[in-house]
Amino acid sequence: MNTSLYVPGNTPLHRLPAGAKFGVLFAAGIGLFLLAHPGVLGAAAAVAAVLVLSARAPLAALRARLLPVGVMLAVLFAATALLQDVPAAVVMLLRLAALILLALAVTLTTRPADLLEFFERLTAPLARVGVADPERISLGVSLVLRFVPEVFRRFQEIREAQAARGLKANPVALLVPLIVRTLKAADDVADAIDARCYPPPRRPSGGARTEENPT
Amino acid sequence: MNRPQERGITTRDVVLVALFAAIIVALGLVPPITVGIVPVPITLQTLGVMLAGAVLGPVRGALACGLVVLLTAVGLPVLAGGRGGLGVFAGPTGGYLVGWIPGALVTGLMVKYWAAKLTRGWAKAGAILAACVAGGIVVVYALGIPWLSVSSGLPLREAALGGMVFVPGDLIKAVAAALVAHGVARSYSMELK
Repeated sequence: MNTSLYVPGNTPLHRLPAGAKFGVLFAAGIGLFLLAHPGVLGAAAAVAAVLVLSARAPLAALRARLLPVGVMLAVLFAATALLQDVPAAVVMLLRLAALILLALAVTLTTRPADLLEFFERLTAPLARVGVADPERISLGVSLVLRFVPEVFRRFQEIREAQAARGLKANPVALLVPLIVRTLKAADDVADAIDARCYPPPRRPSGGARTEENPT
Repeated sequence: MNRPQERGITTRDVVLVALFAAIIVALGLVPPITVGIVPVPITLQTLGVMLAGAVLGPVRGALACGLVVLLTAVGLPVLAGGRGGLGVFAGPTGGYLVGWIPGALVTGLMVKYWAAKLTRGWAKAGAILAACVAGGIVVVYALGIPWLSVSSGLPLREAALGGMVFVPGDLIKAVAAALVAHGVARSYSMELK
């Protein structure tokens, strides 16, 4: 879980800023749905495949990413070919393959932190009117990453305790104690964060210590 | 929209949202469970979406789902089976994921303003079940099926028929979610927000 889908490297795609890559992907997402010519879509899929390969990701990682998508696309292809016709299925397949490969290229070559920062800048106008608070969002994100292993460990503890008493895996009996314990833990975590005055109040930084000791 | 202070999102709310998002992610790590007569193994992740609304309330539930969607978008493998990245949104099932946010909101609203006000135990559990079906199935499908139709070029009717495959599994999850939410509410009373 702690591994992200990003693959470190120094290819041209890695060096492009996150915003530029996301912008191209967004434009491609709209553009590919306006096009319906199989040749053009095929060329787009080929370009996207080359971009994915240019990220120099290990083949095992690529296979793990692409296999489930491939199965899903195959099912959709069969369904579209049966319900409509084969040309429509080909257009659908090429369009989705191009888009998914492009998105994969962005995910493989962009650090999660960079994308997060880009989304933060994108929502900056919202933050100014008080709808989204970047500091709270980043606090939330880091808490999730910190607590996933914790929650999973707790889940296994409860499961083992119930198995030791001869109980079969039962989602309801597992989830009630898991959620109650997690809700109780939340109070402790919130107290710890509040005790450390996080997120810091928005003031010009630097003068905190002198403010506390006026002489 | 009000300013954050007036809206009253406290540190505790942020922590609850994050911890519930962590529960949703962790449920994706659990090996799929085969339930009784239904031969299709079900993952527990969408159960977590219904629970987010039913346990935390509309705003915090929707925020918890929004956090998982954000983590998916930045490329972390937070979805069941280690999926993640922008490709999820580009693919035909992206609508189901985005639908989690309004889904948890609707479940939360129904639980907060309807189910939580009922006093008799069985009526309350039934109302929570209705809220889980409305938010976790109807709303999620209302985004997921048109998205599938646009993305794959399948006519809306065929896409809707295809989506029906998952209804039995999701109904079982809604029943489980209602039982869990009811059980949690009995042992840990919390104001819904």
